[in-house]
Amino acid sequence: MRILGTCKIAESGVFVNGLARQFEVNEDWKKDLYASLNIEYPKFYKMDALAKMAFLGVELLESSCNFDDYSENEIALIFANRYSSYDTDQRFIESYTEKGSPGPSLFVYTLPNILTGELAIRKKWYGENIFFINEKFDAQFFIDQINFYFRKGSKACLCGWVDSANNQEECFLFLVENSIDEISIEELIKSYKQ
Amino acid sequence: MVTPIGDTPQENFEAMKSGKSGVSKIAGSGFNDEDWPLSKIKHLEEENRYQALLKRTCSQLLKAYGQELFQSEKTLIIISSTKADIDSFPEDTFSSTRSIINELLTPVNTPVIISNACISGVLAINTAVDYLNDEKYTNVIAIGIDALSDFIVYGFQSLFALSDAPSRPFDKNRKGISIGEAGGAIMVSKERPSEMFSVEYLGGSSSNDANHISGPSRTGEGLFRSINLSAERAGINLKELDFISAHGTGTLYNDEMESIAFDRLGLNKIPLNSLKGYFGHTLGAAGIIELLATMLMMEHKLLLKSPGFEEQGTSCNINVLKENTESEAQLVLKTASGFGGGNASIILRK
Repeated sequence: MRILGTCKIAESGVFVNGLARQFEVNEDWKKDLYASLNIEYPKFYKMDALAKMAFLGVELLESSCNFDDYSENEIALIFANRYSSYDTDQRFIESYTEKGSPGPSLFVYTLPNILTGELAIRKKWYGENIFFINEKFDAQFFIDQINFYFRKGSKACLCGWVDSANNQEECFLFLVENSIDEISIEELIKSYKQ
Repeated sequence: MVTPIGDTPQENFEAMKSGKSGVSKIAGSGFNDEDWPLSKIKHLEEENRYQALLKRTCSQLLKAYGQELFQSEKTLIIISSTKADIDSFPEDTFSSTRSIINELLTPVNTPVIISNACISGVLAINTAVDYLNDEKYTNVIAIGIDALSDFIVYGFQSLFALSDAPSRPFDKNRKGISIGEAGGAIMVSKERPSEMFSVEYLGGSSSNDANHISGPSRTGEGLFRSINLSAERAGINLKELDFISAHGTGTLYNDEMESIAFDRLGLNKIPLNSLKGYFGHTLGAAGIIELLATMLMMEHKLLLKSPGFEEQGTSCNINVLKENTESEAQLVLKTASGFGGGNASIILRK
């Protein structure tokens, strides 16, 4: 397998394929980054933090990865995080404990895999999807899963560790293609730790 | 298999056979104190409900298999849950899952947790097979679990997705979902055990609708694609299917979507049911307990009726079972669909 591209967004900054972009990750960073990318996708504003981060990550990855090389069934989405949909869970709980009534537009985002749904809609990807809850980013775990999906016939895997809880946000995406090369775990961990 | 109608697979099967349902009106369960019909385990404590349910599921597992199986380095545990211990918020809602599993089952290998809405259970079985094919493990135990909570009931209420009478999947007068709670587990092994009933996993897959995050596709796209892919992986012709254990939540749009996907695949005549009338919609547990129930039907050569179904209520004709029917069903399809546009399916052979 071969890593075709990585994207990391965290407090330390925005990195695409290891290179830092001129961008300040402040409180409004998702809105600012969206504006800087000149995209027209009004649905973005309805998304929760997890889906927004994954969406922006894919847009950034696209600058170096050509997703069109794969047909609509060929890309598997393999995602994981620690805190599931924590931030949106909190906002939904507040809607019925403090704000009068349970908010349906919040409730639909109280599942972590809504973000893979949003990516599938945006890119018209009909391939396989799975979302795991892990205690921390585990490079070997992702590599095992990628191998499973290549064995089953996916041509590429878009993987992601996207989390948002207790005012901590991070998004790490990487696209992997099926090839005879071997991925270095160290290399993957290094990209994640940027 | 811990549900409102039984604590073991056998108890559940006997209850289903006699037409018993776990769904009943629960006083004051709604946000405005409505009495929603829910499938609630009556003798489970209210405090730390999820934890109590997980503990009971683990203790049933220990009774059935003994501790040693879980302590083997050749055993992996996979857990499927949508909201896990949401009542423990603002704690990390998945942390009690890890601590209870570690304390009671004492596994060597770190359990794998899947949270992918209502298709989690089916994905857990697909993932179990992936791990077995990788040769590292000989047994994978897939546990599906979700408990009732205000969070879930208020959420589905806010979407106007709850039915004010027990849910009636695929029926003309269906009005929505009855939420349920359950815990269950399936052992997936390389070797076919001689001492207990088993079925063969032929193939499975998932596919996204790429259409809407909370509404089913109008063309049943993801379900159609997943079933086709599972059949291809299983190396079977879908026309040979003897039975379908469908998802069938009881909402207008979901059941309509499933009928369209089955129609596009030419599966109109294959006997089919939804088990939601017995258990309610148990979210992350659904795929697991419905597969268990399907295996019990295959073992006992009896296809169970789809509770609440009286009159065709979807635009495409499908063969929903109105009565328990004796059958030597050999080749069976299980499907699931959920929020986030996810669909998953599995093909089993007796």
